[in-house]
Amino acid sequence: MCPEIVDEAAQVWFGPQHVSAHGWATKLTIVGDYIVECDPNAGYFHRSAEKCLEFRNFQQGALIMERLCMLEAFLAEYPYVKAVEQIAQLDVPERARVMRTIMMEASRIHSLQFWWGQFGAELGLFAMTLWPWVDREYFLDAFEELTGSRHAVSYSAPGGVKYDFNEKSIKMLERALDRLEDRLPKFRDMILRSPTFKLRTKKIGLFDAAQGLKWGLSGPNIKACGIPMDLRKDDPDPNLAYEMCDWEVPVTTNEDHPGQCDAYDRMSQRFKEIETSASIIRQLLPQVPEGPIIDPKARAKANRLPEGEAYGRVEGTRGVTTLFLKTADKAQTPYRAKIRGPCFASYYSLKHLVPGSTFADFVVIFGSLDPYPGWWDR
Amino acid sequence: MGFFSTLGDIFRVLRHTFRQTMTRPFTYFYPFEDRYYPDTTRGRHIHIRKNCTACAQCVKACPTIAIRIDKQDRMYEKDAALHFDYTRCIFCGLCVQACKFNALFHTKIVDLSEETREDLQYGPDRMGTLERKPLKWRGRTFR
Repeated sequence: MCPEIVDEAAQVWFGPQHVSAHGWATKLTIVGDYIVECDPNAGYFHRSAEKCLEFRNFQQGALIMERLCMLEAFLAEYPYVKAVEQIAQLDVPERARVMRTIMMEASRIHSLQFWWGQFGAELGLFAMTLWPWVDREYFLDAFEELTGSRHAVSYSAPGGVKYDFNEKSIKMLERALDRLEDRLPKFRDMILRSPTFKLRTKKIGLFDAAQGLKWGLSGPNIKACGIPMDLRKDDPDPNLAYEMCDWEVPVTTNEDHPGQCDAYDRMSQRFKEIETSASIIRQLLPQVPEGPIIDPKARAKANRLPEGEAYGRVEGTRGVTTLFLKTADKAQTPYRAKIRGPCFASYYSLKHLVPGSTFADFVVIFGSLDPYPGWWDR
Repeated sequence: MGFFSTLGDIFRVLRHTFRQTMTRPFTYFYPFEDRYYPDTTRGRHIHIRKNCTACAQCVKACPTIAIRIDKQDRMYEKDAALHFDYTRCIFCGLCVQACKFNALFHTKIVDLSEETREDLQYGPDRMGTLERKPLKWRGRTFR
C-alpha cells in the first residue's frame, strides 16, 4: 500500500460481536467504502477439541466431533468413527452402511437449508431466511424421531449405527423430502431469477479454480467452478453405500466466466447439492436391507485398539472433512487426533478474495463460502 | 388501479385476517400443552433400582463424569444409588446403552429448569421417580 492510502485508511473489526460474523473476528482496512486489506483472525471459538479427544475413549470421541459442527452432525462424527473402524478392522453390516448414508445425506440437506436461509439474512432478504428454515424443521423432526435428539444426534458408532429405522422415522423423513421437493424448485427460481439477488451476488467474490485449489478450498466452493471434485465419487468409502445408487457429481459452469465462480454460482451450486442429496436418499430408502445394525462384538473390539494410524475422511457439506487418528498399543484413548476442517481454508481465502470489494459486499463474500467457526477453531 | 379493484384487495386481506383469527395458532401453548416427543427422546433419566446390579458401567461410559455411584446406599440385595449431575450431562445416551440390566432409561422429560444449580443435581430419591413438584407461577399451577 502506498503511504497516502494508509493515511486515509481506517481499521474496522468485523466481529466477534457482529451477529452475522458467526463469532469470528476479521480486521478490515477500509478506504472510503472500499476494503484494501482483510486480516482474518481465527481463535475466538477455540475449545481445544483435539486435546479433548485425547481424553475420551473411542465410543465417546464421536460426541465431541459432532459438537464441532452441529448443523452437519451426522457427517461431522463420521471421520472419527471411520478412523476407529480402520484401526480396529471392524466390519459394518450392510443395513448400517445404507442407513448411515441416508442420514448423512439428510444431514447435508439440513445444513444447506440452514445455510441459504442464513445467507438471505446476510443479504438483508429476511423473508428468504424463513422459507428454508421451516422446511428444515421437518428434517429435525425426522432426526428426533430416529435418534431422540434434534441436533446432537450421536448416531454412528464404531461398527455400525446406534438407532434403527422404524416405520415412523422413515415416514417423517419422506414427509420432509416431499415438502423439500415441492418447495425447493419454486424457491430456486424465485431467488436465482430475482434482480435484487443478482445485483448483490453476480461478479462478487470471483475466483478461478486454480486459485481455489491453491487456497485449499473443497466441496461446493470448488464444484461451483466446474470441477467435479467429490470424495463420494473420487474415493468410494467401503463403509458407505454411494455405489448402490445412480448419481452424478453436481457442478456449475457459468458461460460468462468459465472456470470461475462468484457468489451467485456458489448459491446455485448448493441448490444442486440439495437436489442430488434428495435423489440419493430417494433411491436408497427402498433399498435398506434387513439385518443387524451393529456388529455385536464391535463394542468390545473398540474398547482397546491396537497400535496404528488411520485417516478418516468424508465429503462434508462445506468440503472435505478429515481426521487423523494415532493410537498406542492397547490404548483406550487416542495418542493423537488431528482434525482438518473444511472452513479454515475458506475463512483464510478471504484474505485474497475481499480486497478491492466494497464493505457491503464483504458479508456476501464470506456468507457465500459457507463458513462455520467450529471447523477452524478446533 | 380502479376503486373497485382496491376495495376487492382490501376485502381479500380482511377475509384472510378473519380466517386466521378463527384458526388455531401454529405455536404450542406451553406450558399448558407440550409438543410431541417421540419414544426415543433422550430426556432426563430414570433409574430402576430393582434391576440395578451396581456394575457401574454407566459411570464408566459417561463422557462428562455426570454420574456418581454410591454402592453403600442399598435398597435391594445388590443395587446401588445413582447421583446425576444435570449441569454436566449432555444426554448422549451412552449410559443407557451401557446398561445391560434394564435399570437405566431416558424419559421424555426435557424441561429441567430449576431455581438453583444444586437443584439440578438429582439424588437417588429423584432418580427413581418421574414425579416432581408442580411449577407455580402467578397463582396457577402447571405440570
